[in-house]
Amino acid sequence: MIDTATSPGPEPVEHEAGSSFWQDARHRLWMNKLAVFGLAVVSILGVLCFVSYLCPHLTGYTYEQQNLALGPTPPNHAHWLGTDPLGRDLLARLLYGGGISLMVGLYATGVSLAIGVIYGAIAGFAGGKADMVMMRIIDILYALPFVIFVILIMVFFGQSIKLMFIAIGAVEWLTMARIVRGQVMAIKRQEFVEAAHALGLKRRRIIFRHIVPNLLGPIIVYATLTMPEVILLESFLSFLGLGVQPPHSSWGVLIKEGAEVMEEYPWLLIYPGAVMALTLFSLNFLGDGLRDALDVRGSKD
Amino acid sequence: MLRFIARRLLETIPVLFIIATVTFFMMHGAPGGPFDSEKKPGPEVLARMKAHYGLDKPLFQQYLLQMKHLLQGDLGPSFKYPGRSVNEIIAVSFPVSLELGCEALVVALVFGLAAGMVASLKQNSAWDHVPMSLAMAGLCVPTFVMGPLLISAFAIHMDWFNAAGWFFPRDRVLPALTLGAYYAAYVARLTRGGFLEILNQDYIRTARAKGAGGARILFKHALRGGILPVVSFLGPAVAGLLTGSFVVETIFGIPGLGRYFVMAAFNRDYFMVMGSVLFYACFVVAFNLATDIVLVWLNPKLRFEE
Amino acid sequence: MNVPRKLYLTILCLTIVAGCGKRERLVDIGNRNQELRINNYGEPSSLDPQIGIGQLEHNVSIALYEGLVTVDTKDLSLHPGAAESWNISPDEKVYTFHLRKNGRWSNGEPITARDFVESYHRILTPALAAQYSYMLYPVENAEAFNTGKITNFDEVGFKAPDDYTLQVTLHSPAPYLLSMVIHESWFPVPISVIKKYGAPDDRTNPWARPGTCVGNGPFVLKEWTMNSHILVEKNPTYWDAQNVRLNKIYFDPTEDEDTAERMFRSGQLHGIPQASPSKVAFYRKNKPNLIKVYPILAIYFYKFNVTRPPVNDKRVRKALTMAIDRRAIADTIMRAGEEPAFFFTPPNTGGYTCQTKLSEDVAEARRLLAEAGYPDGRNFPKVEVLFNIMQAHKAVAEALQQMWKKNLNVDIVLHNEEWKVYLDSMMHTNYSMGRAGWVGDYVDPSTFLDTMTTDSGNNETGWSNAEYDRLIHLASNTGDQAARYAAYQKAEAILLDEMPVMPIYFYTIPRLILPCVRGWYPNVLDTYNFKTMYLEPEEN
Repeated sequence: MIDTATSPGPEPVEHEAGSSFWQDARHRLWMNKLAVFGLAVVSILGVLCFVSYLCPHLTGYTYEQQNLALGPTPPNHAHWLGTDPLGRDLLARLLYGGGISLMVGLYATGVSLAIGVIYGAIAGFAGGKADMVMMRIIDILYALPFVIFVILIMVFFGQSIKLMFIAIGAVEWLTMARIVRGQVMAIKRQEFVEAAHALGLKRRRIIFRHIVPNLLGPIIVYATLTMPEVILLESFLSFLGLGVQPPHSSWGVLIKEGAEVMEEYPWLLIYPGAVMALTLFSLNFLGDGLRDALDVRGSKD
Repeated sequence: MLRFIARRLLETIPVLFIIATVTFFMMHGAPGGPFDSEKKPGPEVLARMKAHYGLDKPLFQQYLLQMKHLLQGDLGPSFKYPGRSVNEIIAVSFPVSLELGCEALVVALVFGLAAGMVASLKQNSAWDHVPMSLAMAGLCVPTFVMGPLLISAFAIHMDWFNAAGWFFPRDRVLPALTLGAYYAAYVARLTRGGFLEILNQDYIRTARAKGAGGARILFKHALRGGILPVVSFLGPAVAGLLTGSFVVETIFGIPGLGRYFVMAAFNRDYFMVMGSVLFYACFVVAFNLATDIVLVWLNPKLRFEE
Repeated sequence: MNVPRKLYLTILCLTIVAGCGKRERLVDIGNRNQELRINNYGEPSSLDPQIGIGQLEHNVSIALYEGLVTVDTKDLSLHPGAAESWNISPDEKVYTFHLRKNGRWSNGEPITARDFVESYHRILTPALAAQYSYMLYPVENAEAFNTGKITNFDEVGFKAPDDYTLQVTLHSPAPYLLSMVIHESWFPVPISVIKKYGAPDDRTNPWARPGTCVGNGPFVLKEWTMNSHILVEKNPTYWDAQNVRLNKIYFDPTEDEDTAERMFRSGQLHGIPQASPSKVAFYRKNKPNLIKVYPILAIYFYKFNVTRPPVNDKRVRKALTMAIDRRAIADTIMRAGEEPAFFFTPPNTGGYTCQTKLSEDVAEARRLLAEAGYPDGRNFPKVEVLFNIMQAHKAVAEALQQMWKKNLNVDIVLHNEEWKVYLDSMMHTNYSMGRAGWVGDYVDPSTFLDTMTTDSGNNETGWSNAEYDRLIHLASNTGDQAARYAAYQKAEAILLDEMPVMPIYFYTIPRLILPCVRGWYPNVLDTYNFKTMYLEPEEN
């Protein structure tokens, strides 16, 4: 039992500054050291990669410039992170590849967000028969082995980075839809919605003013958690050979190439692997931190 | 309960039908055929091969024929391995994937639950951050990197294990660890989250006030509730786990089903793809059902919802 | 101790217990028991020698079956196999093989000439759709029977005048016939056994399994677990069993080169047939006694789609071909001692070496390109190079892309397709430039040069040259080796002038093999002679 130490007598009552839900959340997030670390890492990397995407000559070499005579060399003065078997500068490829991976992550997450949120919201809000049919469709889609279908999609439409966003997004939206639907249904039942309804507010107003803001929390959390999934999926596609195509690089391509020559040229795996792991790590902890901060009942799906 | 199960099973049939149809048309729509190879056989030979498997008939007729066979439980022959039927290939390779999957599941549960439970007990301390960070390795290091790393360290340099193969009991260790790591990470995170929620509840506080120690609280009071999110997640995930992982099976040379799944798509082995997809779908449906049953058993409140 | 510590300690102990201890290496056990353990590229699609079509099926077939003629891997000389001798008629059209009287199937039945004739009947039966039936086409009427033009097999040039004499009649002399006969498409199959398990012309007939498979080779099929292993054991009824020193051969079907190399390093395999380029460099430098690099009968090249601009212009094709550095590609990318290819047929194929050579001349290339209308690469349309997804192809394509940019200032775009899609595109001539490879089936230039004729299904470039076709036709219808080779020289000169193909390098095999494996010799066919191989660890 906490013993609140109070001074006796009538003291001027201090007005506590009220804080909104978002301010509370931000405070909770700030307290979570791992999440803050994650945010910092992701931001720095994001900026670095974006800059290197815009200025390909940042490191003095481009990501595709080969030097066959040089071959693979460990980190040295000329090449800070070393070179790959075609004599390409690893640092340049790492930054450029990071830009691509993060871009794939963002766009594919965006695609899955767009589809998933709309789908889930409609299902949750509509309820009844429509909801049941929509959920059944999701069940069917869940039962399709995504690997085979991603292969077929990539093969069918050819390999371009844009199509990869769509293919990956098409696989990831299912979870988002389920979560959004669950959240919408939970919110729908809440008293404040009933109240709004009783007050005679139009349906559209209820949706946009009351339901959507409450959706933002889980959406942000799961978007942040979907990004690492997407990046991992892209690396798996690279393992199969269906990912980003030469001469472009992405983290998936780099670690696949690095894993193959891990024993002979370890730097080709260590640096890309470490950077990718660090990024995924950061995204995951940021997502967890956001979840704790926004108090989203993710564990209740 | 029985009515619920029966209804779900009945709903499965149209689901499988739709899946089979989608798979069929997608497979036949993809460019490239099963008999394309670098050394071209003569056009007559090619025509004969296609005729033998019925691939020269109009597409819709092939579709109906395929559906008929499926209803009879005949998954068809494999193109890539003439002389072997899809039923046979699945029957031979599935038990291997099943065993690997179960062992990976054990790894995931043991490490994941342990890390998660401990982390939840000592939130925001070193006991929380360190195990959770280690568990995250499963999510941040792809299997095709973790596998070779483990092999390089333990099989080649330490010489404790074979580098690949599936013959001795010892051969199970590294693949199970590699495959289980990813799921261990999820289990750890979900366990921690689930337990944290429970541990903040009043009835736990009561138990603590009554003098119950850490282990007792964990296992006797919190477990049943805290494990809910893990079960929700694992249900569908186990379906994928048990039907094999392409990456792990390739790296460790394991004769499991996961490899056939993926290679069948690359080889345009139409019947093999159909068989694998349906097999997987059945698993997913079965495990979804099992999960729902277990969830209801663990949390009687759910019985009254929906 | 509180809960966390107890929990972690338990887990730690379990992990240690699970892991400890040294083991006897599998290759050492193999050495003791004369059991050869090798990697074999992948899982065979079938062990029926008339259905299985690749190198990996070949490797197991030569253990289970024996053809009329066998090859000595040391010098590729031909030796008696199931036939103890043979005569060739003066007009070189009739080959008479005298079979061994003590030749036996593994079920004890004697092998007769009748068995061979029935085997050839089976492989040429159209319904079987055997992909290598074309290896029997030099035989009179074989092609007609295989394509359904005639239906009476008696008209085909295979006769068995008596139990131990096989007479093969060709439609025209073929000096290279015996080097074709060593191929598994000429192996005998036990028709009476096949019939027990289904129709003989049904390619899904499951006769080639452990327990039911019967062959006439030095080994019998003991175990076959898909994607796990194939085990063959010494065949006691083999006519030369006393000279076979290995007891067992274990074929490992791991496809992934890196996994196979790890298995080799950890003592699970005696040898793997192919190491990836980075490993090759490592072994050549650090463990040269474990790696053997040797050329094989195969070429790596690019095909031009001569119907599509701008590569429909001969000058553009020549410019692109001349502006690359093959030596750099071979030495820095492949790094397995590949020879740069300046012509199409590998050198010294059956004694034939092409006398015309293409040149690498950047100045001349630029001049040709300008002449074709693209001075200094200006206005050169976007040209795509198509290849299938593999590390090596990607690396080569990327290097070539850079070379063309640097030397000719042209932008070549790389387009990578999944294997089947790539094959489909190539087959339908749906590409501008495409990566290609060709492995010779037997030791004679015809196996390379025949592919570029107008009606060859393997041409795929849309290139057609009447004079070339005439020369090839001439060469395949005469028995005069000198005349044949002269024709091939002229034909290949045309090929190199018109340039529908861009040779890059001739393949080598970088094989990893332990020194305790004896009796194995590198050869251009990359085949084994399991009869003469044995295991003997070095003393140390």
